[in-house]
Amino acid sequence: MIDSIEGFARKRTLQCVVLLIFSLLVGRLFYLQLMDDRYVEQANRNAQRPIVLYPPRGEVFDRNREYLVQSRPCYDLMVVRHDMDKDGFDTARLCAVTGLSIEKVRRELKKTAQRPRAPHLLASYVLQEEKMRLDECNFAGFYTVDRTMREYPRKIGGNLLGYVGEVNRDMIKRNPVYSPGDYVGMSGVELSYEKELMGKKGVRIMERDTHGALKGAFQGGAADSLPVAGSALTSTIDAKLQLLGEELMRGKVGAAVAIEPQTGEILMMVSSPSYDPDELLGRERGNHYMKLLRNRRNPLFNRAVKAKYPPGSTFKLVQGLIGLQEGVLHPSDMHSCSRGYAYGNKKMRCHDHASPLDLRFAVATSCNAYFCYVFRDILDNPRYGSVKEGFDKWREYVESFGFGRKLGSDFLDEGQGYVPTRAFYDRAYHKSWNSLTVLSLSIGQGELGCTPLQLANLACIVANRGYYYIPHIIKHIEGRDSIDRRFYERQYTKVEAKYFEPIVEGMWRGVNVGGTSTRAKLPGLNVCGKTGTAQNPHGMDHSTFMSFAPKDNPKIAISVYVENGGFGASIALPIASLLEEYYLTDTIRRPEMLEYVKNKVIYYPKYDK
Amino acid sequence: MTSSRHTRIFEGIDFGTVGIYVTIVLVGLVSIFSATYDEASTSMFSMSHFYMKQLIWIGAAWCVGVVVLLLDERFYHMFAYPAYIGGIFLLLAALLVGHEVNGAKAWFKFGSFQVQPVEFAKIATALALARVMSAYSFSIDRVSDLRKVAMVICIPLFIIVLQNDTGSGIVLGSFLFVLYREGLNKWLCIPVLLIAALFIISFLLSPMTLLIISILVCTLSEAMMNGQWKTRVIYLASIALATILSKIGVELVSPGALSLYGCLLTVTLLSLVVVVVYAYRQNLNNIFIVLSLFVGMMIFLPTTDYIFNSILKQHQRDRILSFLGIISDPLGVDYNVNQSKIAIGSGGFWGKGFLQGTQIKYGFVPENHTDFIFCTAGEEWGFVGTMVVLGLFAALIFRLINMGERQEEPFGRIYCYCVASILLFHVMVNVGMTIGLMPVMGIPLPFMSYGGSSLIAFTILLFIAIRLDASTRQFSSLHRI
Repeated sequence: MIDSIEGFARKRTLQCVVLLIFSLLVGRLFYLQLMDDRYVEQANRNAQRPIVLYPPRGEVFDRNREYLVQSRPCYDLMVVRHDMDKDGFDTARLCAVTGLSIEKVRRELKKTAQRPRAPHLLASYVLQEEKMRLDECNFAGFYTVDRTMREYPRKIGGNLLGYVGEVNRDMIKRNPVYSPGDYVGMSGVELSYEKELMGKKGVRIMERDTHGALKGAFQGGAADSLPVAGSALTSTIDAKLQLLGEELMRGKVGAAVAIEPQTGEILMMVSSPSYDPDELLGRERGNHYMKLLRNRRNPLFNRAVKAKYPPGSTFKLVQGLIGLQEGVLHPSDMHSCSRGYAYGNKKMRCHDHASPLDLRFAVATSCNAYFCYVFRDILDNPRYGSVKEGFDKWREYVESFGFGRKLGSDFLDEGQGYVPTRAFYDRAYHKSWNSLTVLSLSIGQGELGCTPLQLANLACIVANRGYYYIPHIIKHIEGRDSIDRRFYERQYTKVEAKYFEPIVEGMWRGVNVGGTSTRAKLPGLNVCGKTGTAQNPHGMDHSTFMSFAPKDNPKIAISVYVENGGFGASIALPIASLLEEYYLTDTIRRPEMLEYVKNKVIYYPKYDK
Repeated sequence: MTSSRHTRIFEGIDFGTVGIYVTIVLVGLVSIFSATYDEASTSMFSMSHFYMKQLIWIGAAWCVGVVVLLLDERFYHMFAYPAYIGGIFLLLAALLVGHEVNGAKAWFKFGSFQVQPVEFAKIATALALARVMSAYSFSIDRVSDLRKVAMVICIPLFIIVLQNDTGSGIVLGSFLFVLYREGLNKWLCIPVLLIAALFIISFLLSPMTLLIISILVCTLSEAMMNGQWKTRVIYLASIALATILSKIGVELVSPGALSLYGCLLTVTLLSLVVVVVYAYRQNLNNIFIVLSLFVGMMIFLPTTDYIFNSILKQHQRDRILSFLGIISDPLGVDYNVNQSKIAIGSGGFWGKGFLQGTQIKYGFVPENHTDFIFCTAGEEWGFVGTMVVLGLFAALIFRLINMGERQEEPFGRIYCYCVASILLFHVMVNVGMTIGLMPVMGIPLPFMSYGGSSLIAFTILLFIAIRLDASTRQFSSLHRI
């Protein structure tokens, strides 16, 4: 028998044990319920299934409010294996209804075995009529999710508008707004204006039980949100001009860009070869994409903004303007040309024309020798002490014309072309070089590389007599008053307006009086133009033509570049001229020229080997 | 006259304890309602619902409770041994002809109604234990009396373990709590607790480590009881020395014949003869108790592997292994506990609100109206809810301890402590398993978990204590007048 004092002590000990046990439980509960947030998250993951509501992507209109890109409904076909009819499911019937191949369906269904209660994506881009047939059949376990896909009513501007694809893992990591399965702009306008076009996803949060079955809206739908459609864009493109441009460029490799000089709005931008934008849509997208990728002419490459072409004779305009501004050239300066410019034991060849000649005539007739003199005068200007200093000065001017750098257009993948630097020549010639070494730059050859967009921009600069607006493809975004302010600012070159007159005059004469560009003459429109014939190591010369019209108060500036097209006047000129005529007069009065251009197919051994 | 009789019957009843009991039962009912409420069901009062069934059980339990209070306290004293024998009989019957649920052959089935006799065997064992230990001549220090106590506890425990209902069996181990209160030498408690602990972790340790721990603990607890540290240290040192010498000797005669473990075991077993002689000469009876514990352990430990692999079912093994962190499998064994932790942990401070617990409502927590009922309180009523529930249980247990202390008869005190220890063990293990502190043993939360036989049995268990207490208070109040 235990005595009462000892008993009391033991009672105390036992009470302490009870307290200890309870405080252990309380401590653990304190930690679980108040300190550790993981469990709330896990509970939500357990019991909620967010259903994403996809917004339609914004449409794109042309400058006349015609649809370039539309969104139309399509559907994702989903399947929950657990809910499928175990024995009565007819794969063949599903395939017949949706047009899917039996192998693909089997393959996808096999993948669902691991998580039978989770929804799986069986097929994307199910069309509306297929969906309606599906609904009639009412396959257990299958359901559709509303999506939208792109549609191109005019089937133009593949490279320009870009395409939409499924977001990849890197993009999701960079921008957590995206989640797997989202569609996102991959190139062109779709990429540049992704933020505006994408809209905002909505969500409907459903509660689900331990078997994955949905049990109704979470909190009665209080946490749900509706999708917000993407903003519609108004493009600067003129759809009809674009269509004509693509037709004219068919069969040639190259690019054509037309810009409204007074605004910098891109009226047309053709990269040839192009492709039907509808091909990069829907279920066959992957196959078509691979086909385009394998095409050696590289239709997915937007030559208009990315290609680096030697500008050829069109670059003589820049040399003349720099010479005038630098004071080493006067419009009346005469130089003689004896079928070329001889230096040392070499000769820069020129074609047959009257000699000696002044600046206006040199522009009109595209004299090589004249601009060799001009270029050497700029570089060897005693004011700068050395050729290299003179070269730096020259390069500064060239850059102010938008060459050798990105123009800052709304194409994210815009190329910058190439203008060699002093350091480049120092490396190439071990520091010993002079104006003769780099003489080919004078006529736009040598290391010089320009994008067709930069050349069209040069046309704008000349048309505007000294400034340009940054070229852009979108002029209005739904719900906004203005686009980026950089597109409204005049970008001045380092050449004053007064020096442009003789150059413009020369361009006008070349078309309207006598010179290399006379075929581009359009009665009453005062077209100004400059041809270019760029030598290149890969076969025939590149044909290029740069032009604007009318001479005063110009409405359109254009640059056409056709790889291996021969003389500038032979193919680039008629294309540009037809486009100008069509844009300014809405008709084409030279059917024979149209036929000639359309039928002209250039053979490209370097692509089609 | 009838009114005075009426007051006398309920005189002395601790209504505070009854109030706590009623509150816990009602909290349980609300939780069961939450856990099994079906929005789609049209008839809320249909008898197919668990909460409606539980409502009936509560009514039945309260009737039984009143009957328990109406009986004379001397009845329980007299009834103790017959009840114990009856309880053993029921357990055996369940073992032989019972119905198997979750691998435990521990149930009787009457139609759709299932009874677990172990619930009632607990009451009977508590009564029998109180009866044995309250005998006038009983002394807890006497080996023969201690043997009686061990028998009373171990016979039902053994049958329950044979039923494969280990969880319920271990509940009887909680009577150590009572034995301690009644003066069991505290240095004996340690080896007893050690056996329980070793059973759980024995397969984690090598036999050598286990043997060394056993020797050290037994010697230590013996030395704490009897003093004479010097001889004990000499004993340990000589065992170590003898082991090393014998190992060297064996290596010289026939290398590799006997491992170090073998040597230690042999030396230790041989030394026991010396210990017996020593104990007999010195007349130190408690050495025999420690000795029998040690021998028991030596027999028991090699069998733990056998018990673990042969007697425990796969799911029980997995639960223990998973609890000890030896295997981790969140979708398999850990699933219940993990989901239960998510449910409780997501409750936060105020909880998600009545019927708003998604984990419970949508069936993520299995057994959420029976063994995991605590999750419902945790998710829907948050930290506040769990504190209220734990507070109610703590209050009940403390009241029972106090109730025991104010008994004039040892029978009442021992019984009250038995009830307190059973409740404490249930709460500790049940709540512990829902929050990942204890392995899943499948024992209910008293008064709250759904189930008629469990509710009625716990009600009887508690109300006998209240009845015993009531007569004490009645008696003392009479005296005061």
